[in-house]
Amino acid sequence: MSVKPDVIRKCLWPACLVGLFITGILSLDCNFLNIHLSRVTWQNLRLLSVMSNSFSIECLRENKAFELPEEILSHTQPVKNDIKEAFYEASIQAFNIFSQYTFRSAWEEKHLKQIQIGLGQQLQYLEQCLEEEEKENEDMKEMEEEGTKHSATMVPRLSHLELRRYFNRIDNFLKEKKYSHCAWEIVRVEIRRCFYLLLKSIALLRRK
Amino acid sequence: MLLSQNALAIRPLNLYPVVYISLLFGILHAVSVSPDESCISFNLTLRNFRLILSWELKNRSIVPTHYALSYTIMSRPAGEMIVEDCINITRSFCDLTDEWDSMTETYVTTVVGIRGNTTLVSCWDRVFPALDTSLEPPEFEIVGFTNHINVIVEFPPVIPKMLVMKNLQTQLSLIIEEKSGSIVKLHRPKIDGNTTGNFTYVIDKLIPNTEYCVSVYLEPKEAEKIRRSPLKCTLLQPGQESAAVFTSTIITLRRIGYICLRNNYPKVLNFRNQSAWVFPELPPLEAVALVEIIHINRKKKVWDYTYDDESDSDNEAVPRASAGGYTMHGLTGLCPASTSSASSEDCFDPDPEEPSLPQPGAESEPLMAPGPGPWQSECTDGAYERTRNLLQDPFPEEDSCSTEGTEDRIIFNVDLNSVCVSTLDDDDPEVPPVLSCIPEETVDLEDAEEMETSLLVAGGEGMQLPFPSPPVECLWPEDAPSEKSDTAESDVDIGDGYIMR
Repeated sequence: MSVKPDVIRKCLWPACLVGLFITGILSLDCNFLNIHLSRVTWQNLRLLSVMSNSFSIECLRENKAFELPEEILSHTQPVKNDIKEAFYEASIQAFNIFSQYTFRSAWEEKHLKQIQIGLGQQLQYLEQCLEEEEKENEDMKEMEEEGTKHSATMVPRLSHLELRRYFNRIDNFLKEKKYSHCAWEIVRVEIRRCFYLLLKSIALLRRK
Repeated sequence: MLLSQNALAIRPLNLYPVVYISLLFGILHAVSVSPDESCISFNLTLRNFRLILSWELKNRSIVPTHYALSYTIMSRPAGEMIVEDCINITRSFCDLTDEWDSMTETYVTTVVGIRGNTTLVSCWDRVFPALDTSLEPPEFEIVGFTNHINVIVEFPPVIPKMLVMKNLQTQLSLIIEEKSGSIVKLHRPKIDGNTTGNFTYVIDKLIPNTEYCVSVYLEPKEAEKIRRSPLKCTLLQPGQESAAVFTSTIITLRRIGYICLRNNYPKVLNFRNQSAWVFPELPPLEAVALVEIIHINRKKKVWDYTYDDESDSDNEAVPRASAGGYTMHGLTGLCPASTSSASSEDCFDPDPEEPSLPQPGAESEPLMAPGPGPWQSECTDGAYERTRNLLQDPFPEEDSCSTEGTEDRIIFNVDLNSVCVSTLDDDDPEVPPVLSCIPEETVDLEDAEEMETSLLVAGGEGMQLPFPSPPVECLWPEDAPSEKSDTAESDVDIGDGYIMR
């Protein structure tokens, strides 16, 4: 009997967080998406850095190489859409992983909530702008070609698959270590590393 | 019974704190051996594009004499990495520019404090360079012009690999702030991994006669954490560029000596420090002497195949052409009555058949014939007196002087500076006459003044030798020698040189 309230509590909370800001997100202009992504990512980086002071040096024994696909995020000529889609994939995967964290005294609860809120906003913003771009692309293709519809979402790109595999490795690590404190510390540091690379990709895109 | 039961209950209760305390001490003991996170604070700084990690022990009562640094990369489980340049060091900082190559990694850094052979402390902490690096502004200079400013930023010869990504793009951005009053503009010059040395950025389209201040810093950092360089200001003067060009032109002209001619006088001519004034002697006035040329017409003699001494060519004063193209006139003896017997002996004996030479005035100072050319004079080797006598009497030979005058006379002024003097050597007609007005020693030009003075002394009667440069050597024209042999026997051969005056 006590299981349902816990499940509801776990699922409801992220849903409410996303729904609270959906109206605000829909009114955002996609031309400022890069600025929003940079600001939110920087904020998440700082939060991930200060939210934990309980790292133990013994945790280094459980250290693992997750093989972050850096080449996807550091192209010489990053494609604009690829960066947005990489942001979307990384944001939703990180959101799902942090959602599995049970609130303990090791991490600052408020910092973790702020991270989740930021990721939620980022996801909605990205979805809106990506859908608009897809509609524009489809309209253009219908005008050029007849009877052929190509949707980017139906054929996931290789970069998305690489990122998905990366976050799957993180998720498996947590399960293997039974969501221990050291495992969470190692995952926190790894996701922070991923966010930093995404931030650099956006910075490179803005310079061009 | 109850008491025993209570006693039994109390004993475990009393043991619990004891056990707890003992366990606590054991844990603390265990913790004190392993590295402690809270005993050290790290400070990572990018200074002049060098990554410097410094540390400070929180417990200042612990003062190690040496330190050892090591680190572990969290995403690379390759074990602990020891920094070889930071082992057994006395300083409390370490240059990790060549050790750490990624800003995305988290470095678990350990510092061991040692004194002698004893490890005093072992502390560690996590360092995330992307957020923990303090970016010090680079060194820069500004040069202001009329309507633009050159900002020169100093970059290292090689940018640290941590700051350069695989595509040569840099992790950092250079920001140049331009301030004028309350207006602030940001300039973001493009830099990459190949940007080295002095990097110049031009801020143009500025307003002349306006003060601008420039500051430089590196990104990325939150706005409140940016470390800006101190402001450097310049006032843009109108015509600053033209003034710079004008100044550089003046400097160039002065260097080449076109203006403000160089006065690199020798030290000997520096009289500033001399207490006594030196009044230089007035240069001797040029003496322009009155020369009377007596032209002697001689009959053309036909050799009658006799070797008569009377037909000695020495007695002739016929103008003869030398190989040098000059027509030479012999200056016959002009022996004033006041001359001494010694000088009279030096007079030349002209051909008695010829009309006698007139006696010149007592004041006349017969000298060599000048000018366009032809002359014949004699000078002897030896002392200055001989030279003087030569000047007074151009015929210092043993022949007596003829006092007979001639009817043909040419009187003209002679500028001694334009006269060259040569001697005739009668002893060996085949030997070209040695020319030397001045004595046998070679006279250097440096001794010009001395020679001139000595000659002045030898002048005696006040006749001055107005030659500016003393003769050094007597040189004949080079085309003279070929014809010497032709006239060697019958005529007086003239050497190859001139006495330069």
